[in-house]
Amino acid sequence: MKRTLRMLAAVLMGLTFAGTAGAQGAAAPQTQKAPPDYSAFPCLSYTQPCGKVATRPPVSKALDGPLNGNAEKGKQLAQARNRGNCLACHVIPGGSQPGTRGLDLSHFGSSGRSDAEAYAMVWDMRTINPETLMPPFGTNEILNEQELRDVVAYLLSFR
Amino acid sequence: MHDRKRTPALTAMALALCALAAGNVLGEQPYRERYPDAKIDPAKGVEGDVGFSDTIQYWRTEADLERNAGLADKPAEQWKLNWKHMDLDRIDLHPGHLAVDEGAALVKKLAARDPAFLTCLGEGSAEIKGKAAAYPKFDVALGRILTVEGRIEQCAKSVLGEDLPQGKPPNTKISVYFKSLSAGVPTKVDIGNTKVMEAYRRGEQSFYVRTGQLNMACASCHVPGSIMGHKLRGETPTTPFGDTAHYPTYRTPVGALESLQERFARCHNQMRTQPLKPGDPAYTDLEVFMTVLTNGYPISVPSAR
Repeated sequence: MKRTLRMLAAVLMGLTFAGTAGAQGAAAPQTQKAPPDYSAFPCLSYTQPCGKVATRPPVSKALDGPLNGNAEKGKQLAQARNRGNCLACHVIPGGSQPGTRGLDLSHFGSSGRSDAEAYAMVWDMRTINPETLMPPFGTNEILNEQELRDVVAYLLSFR
Repeated sequence: MHDRKRTPALTAMALALCALAAGNVLGEQPYRERYPDAKIDPAKGVEGDVGFSDTIQYWRTEADLERNAGLADKPAEQWKLNWKHMDLDRIDLHPGHLAVDEGAALVKKLAARDPAFLTCLGEGSAEIKGKAAAYPKFDVALGRILTVEGRIEQCAKSVLGEDLPQGKPPNTKISVYFKSLSAGVPTKVDIGNTKVMEAYRRGEQSFYVRTGQLNMACASCHVPGSIMGHKLRGETPTTPFGDTAHYPTYRTPVGALESLQERFARCHNQMRTQPLKPGDPAYTDLEVFMTVLTNGYPISVPSAR
């Protein structure tokens, strides 16, 4: 019975949500964004060009000059689902609904890693562990150079 | 003398041609990273989960689900139920049930225009009960693999000249109705069919290949040692075994019916991979792979997730 009620609640919520989305869509169709285009990266198609795109090979990226990252900006990037989304896999201080598969980053800044090491890891973790599940944030342009420096500064601030 | 001279020349030419052909074939295969192969045995069907996620012990039968219902309230262990506990909620209020009626009405309407629509769905008979459990299957006359949604699309086009594209509500509603007539029937994809197994192997390749900006494979989240069983932000990825039984399903977070291949597309968006259209041959092969991993497990449509 409890399950049934919970289910019913979920369905009603779903209907409400769908209704709201529909109403918004009707009122402001011009705000609907085009779906993101990921065709520069490999896809499963047998016929489209992305089906022939190769995996970008691992890149060992050396840190050029001092890190100069803005930890506050890094925090926004690390927590945003559509950007760094570090929380998807890692525990981060103050983050909600963290993932549990990746390393707990609660004290990452006390782990003895240099700026350059941390930077290289976020740029492309495959250079350290070829079987890693971590996306290559620099190589695949998920974050640009400065954004990546900001995220590294944020991660290294966890003492 | 002439023969002896010509033979090496011919051999060299043949070798060069072979190399050229091989080069062409290899040239079409770009470098791709892959998630390590979990070595799934298609002959085991849904029982392949034993020694894989080993969660089937909690969701194999309704009795197992009833006995382990308490896991639903334990955030760290809920994933072990593979969401099959949702199938025990036999309430007839969610829109999945409405879709059965809507799908039945659509079939009735289309069959009224030409009864051949129904006999096309039933492959020569107007009786379609129990038949959805054998999909995807290889259609000899058409020379290709058809899913339930593919069959609906093909019958509408060939009999009525009407477009019922896969992944669109009319097709999905008919699919819900068609599959609801196989509710409780064990999934039985014919792995003895060579063409089905060729599709399975292609789908298997797709399951392990890394794609998209995040460089992830299906396997990155759905095999032992991957993210499966761990928290991925608010969710916990589950085993791929038994998963196709409840599709098309009513998705409460989306507020809509969703076919299996629409789910693939939504996964791909989350993986920042270019999604494909439902009915795309690569998605159909992936559906074959996924459905073989459900062989032996009963269809559970209508459903909600």
